[in-house]
Amino acid sequence: MLNTATAESVLSAARRGGADFAELYVERWRRRTLRTIDGEVEEAVSAIEQGAGLRLFFGTDVVYAYTNDLADAALDELTQTLVRLRGTGGGVDAGGGGGLDLRRRTAAGVHAPRVAFEAQPRAWRLERLRELDAGARVDASVRQVEGRLLEWEQDVTVANSEGAWVDDRRVRTRCVAVVIASDGEQTQTGHFGPGLSLGLELFERHAPATIGEQAARQALVNLRARPAPAGTMPVVLGNGFGGVIFHEALGHLVETTSVARRASVLTDKLGEQIASPQVTYVDDGTTPHGWGSSEFDDEGMATERTVLIDRGVLTSYMVDRWGALKTGYARTGSGRRENYTYAPTSRMRNTFILPGDAEEPADLFAGIDLGLYAKSLGGGQVRPGSGEYNFAVKEGYMIRGGQVAEPVRGAMLVGKGPETIRLVDAVARDLATEPGMCGSMSGSIPTEVGQPHVRVSRIVVGGEA
Amino acid sequence: MSFERAKDHVLRRARERGVDAEVLATSTRELRLAASGGRVDEIGHANRGGVGVRVVADGRVGYASSEALDDASLDWMLDEAVENAALQPPRGAELPVGGPLGRSDLIGEGLSAAVEAKGAAVVALEGAIVADPRVDALFMARYAETETEAVLGSTRGVDGGYRNGYAMLMASPVMKQGDSVKQGWDVDVVKEYHQLDPTRTSQEILERVGRHLGASPLATGRYDTVFEPDVTAILLQLLLYSLSGKSVAEGKSRLAGRLGDRVASELITLVDDPTLPEGLASRPFDAEGTPARRTPLIEGGVLRSFLHNSDTARRTGQANTGHAQRSYASTLGVGPSNLVLEAGAGASLDDGVIVTDLMGVHAGANPITGDVSLQGLGLRVEGGATRPVENFALSFNLFELLERVNAVGDTLEWRPGGGGGMVAAPTLRVDALSFAGA
Repeated sequence: MLNTATAESVLSAARRGGADFAELYVERWRRRTLRTIDGEVEEAVSAIEQGAGLRLFFGTDVVYAYTNDLADAALDELTQTLVRLRGTGGGVDAGGGGGLDLRRRTAAGVHAPRVAFEAQPRAWRLERLRELDAGARVDASVRQVEGRLLEWEQDVTVANSEGAWVDDRRVRTRCVAVVIASDGEQTQTGHFGPGLSLGLELFERHAPATIGEQAARQALVNLRARPAPAGTMPVVLGNGFGGVIFHEALGHLVETTSVARRASVLTDKLGEQIASPQVTYVDDGTTPHGWGSSEFDDEGMATERTVLIDRGVLTSYMVDRWGALKTGYARTGSGRRENYTYAPTSRMRNTFILPGDAEEPADLFAGIDLGLYAKSLGGGQVRPGSGEYNFAVKEGYMIRGGQVAEPVRGAMLVGKGPETIRLVDAVARDLATEPGMCGSMSGSIPTEVGQPHVRVSRIVVGGEA
Repeated sequence: MSFERAKDHVLRRARERGVDAEVLATSTRELRLAASGGRVDEIGHANRGGVGVRVVADGRVGYASSEALDDASLDWMLDEAVENAALQPPRGAELPVGGPLGRSDLIGEGLSAAVEAKGAAVVALEGAIVADPRVDALFMARYAETETEAVLGSTRGVDGGYRNGYAMLMASPVMKQGDSVKQGWDVDVVKEYHQLDPTRTSQEILERVGRHLGASPLATGRYDTVFEPDVTAILLQLLLYSLSGKSVAEGKSRLAGRLGDRVASELITLVDDPTLPEGLASRPFDAEGTPARRTPLIEGGVLRSFLHNSDTARRTGQANTGHAQRSYASTLGVGPSNLVLEAGAGASLDDGVIVTDLMGVHAGANPITGDVSLQGLGLRVEGGATRPVENFALSFNLFELLERVNAVGDTLEWRPGGGGGMVAAPTLRVDALSFAGA
């Protein structure tokens, strides 16, 4: 996608123009979307996306430009435009480097797919979505089944004025079922959508019929659920997507994107006990085939496993290049972006709470007279500065006398992330992760959220009191 | 140029394979400059374009797109579109027949000023706003320009291209006076860079936000009401949902089946006109190559037409008005160009409320039913004096409101409309509207 001479020319020109650091990011995507409703194709689109982003640092000021004209002349013009524009605003530092010695590193294929993009025709994919549809028809109340298959293949090259050159390839596949069930009086939905960094062998790990069946089962639970009570009570958060609370209301607070601007309540808290000693919270970009994994980040740094909270003590932030420059913390391979139209910022990869001491999830329910089991969570809102959140419970049950009891719907969890993480009093061992799309300054990116079953001693539950 | 070559390549391959195909290539160049502290502190320079193909075979439609223009990528794109079409159930689709449309340049050198001058303009805008002692903070002061180029061709004869663009200055200050804090924003959009004037824009913004400082609650009641052009533009965007041929085809338009009926006050004449020389969203043809022409939608209150592309026209049995809209990466839709609510004799007010802004349109307005319940900001006119008012909600039905318009302002203001279109809106007057306030 990018030849060495072009990269050298662009990066050197930027340095001569006064930039302290220059980075060229080039990528090419192939994407396919296939969507069915009740087994008929509703949408089938394919796309190649290709472009380059150029980021220049002048001190800690950043300028960014992108183009999908990858011709040498276009990239040179882009560089000149940025340098000239910068000149209108501040002083141009006349420094700048000479020749570049680019050292090339290529991904080893840790997350590579076994079944390639081309291995099956489109009709084969439609058959899988029809299996999903059939799997969801578990009850007469199932009214509509939507199946979605997303396939992304991304080649990335990052070269910078420090001489780094990285080639990475990321292949991701996700299959989503959304089921609408109705008993004539009410309509409820269920949702299940596994996704991993691999190819069509996703279906070997998650049979299409099972994906449909899981979504349908959730819709049926909600159909027989009663309105949730309101009040403050102990809450057991389900494993897997239950971790979205900590992603939104804790993870985002330890990205340098907010910490460097002192816009997070967890700014300057390294080494402090900020969570319950039960909690060890990890952001891991290296999980083999993880939905949020890649060998290198979008700034060309090898990803790593970053322990954010160790037994309750804040041990690291998630640090990108700009964040490192602003705060002095070492980079953690966390610079990510949706695509070439965004400059990278510090972002999560696969973020989860590690297994704890409780032998069985059932142990977490024991001793709770009245509480809520939030088995699965849906959408929520978070104020990034304070970590105040509210999340809808997508599948919930009452806990009565230490046992999981009847299903409830309409429950909302309300609280502050930094407080909730202190109130975790038990963590089970059944760690599971689920894929999601995380939206922030640098766009929408694939991330995994996860945790074992986690008990929080009290959360405000808003329901239909 | 490479887009022309890409288009020709894909059409040649499509003919070889015996499928009908339409190729749309667009590219957008954007420049965004933001100022703070007397300097340009944010620079965005963007160039994004690509090629999209729509294949029609046996009444089935398939789409694919590519931002890479090499032959291998283009061939992959066509293969995918053909395969995507084959997966669909037959829907009776057809690719419209067209002809040569020529190449047009609608902006010429309109945006060709030096970037340094554009940077100086946004710095001047920021400086003039911050200099006002009532300004407590400035969220954003920005210059932005967009230039688009489109090339369209099909195996059924369509062949054309054009280039257009616009520039704008915008800012969003927070102003404070005593305990009263107001944030607002304004944007000046022009076709040629030299029409921008940072001094004028800054004065307009300060006036528009500053006039609301010290606002007091409005008492609940019925008031004669004037909607400022900004608010009229919001109402028109809401109305567009029901005027879209797509909504009609899907059975979601409340105006479906009412062609020829009185649907609004006789003072209302609404036209979509892509041929306006001064129109910021003018275009010689739509996304399917249907030549542009002026389309009266409502004339003297009578519903004359919906906005249609070839597909919605076929599905509803109505005439195609040339309002196909899509980007290279999206599927076929319907959208306006320059939507003009024609000016009237003037709309003044001796006693009542001027509504200057409506908030929460996405949540508080139902485009299907036209029911609107929104928080507003405004000015109370009473006994020859004007004072700012706040904390009130307006509840009305859009369709009933349009029937009750009893005066239309005599000047038009251009505002960005939905879906890439522009809206030219006057003030509107409606008497005895119900307000819920203190």
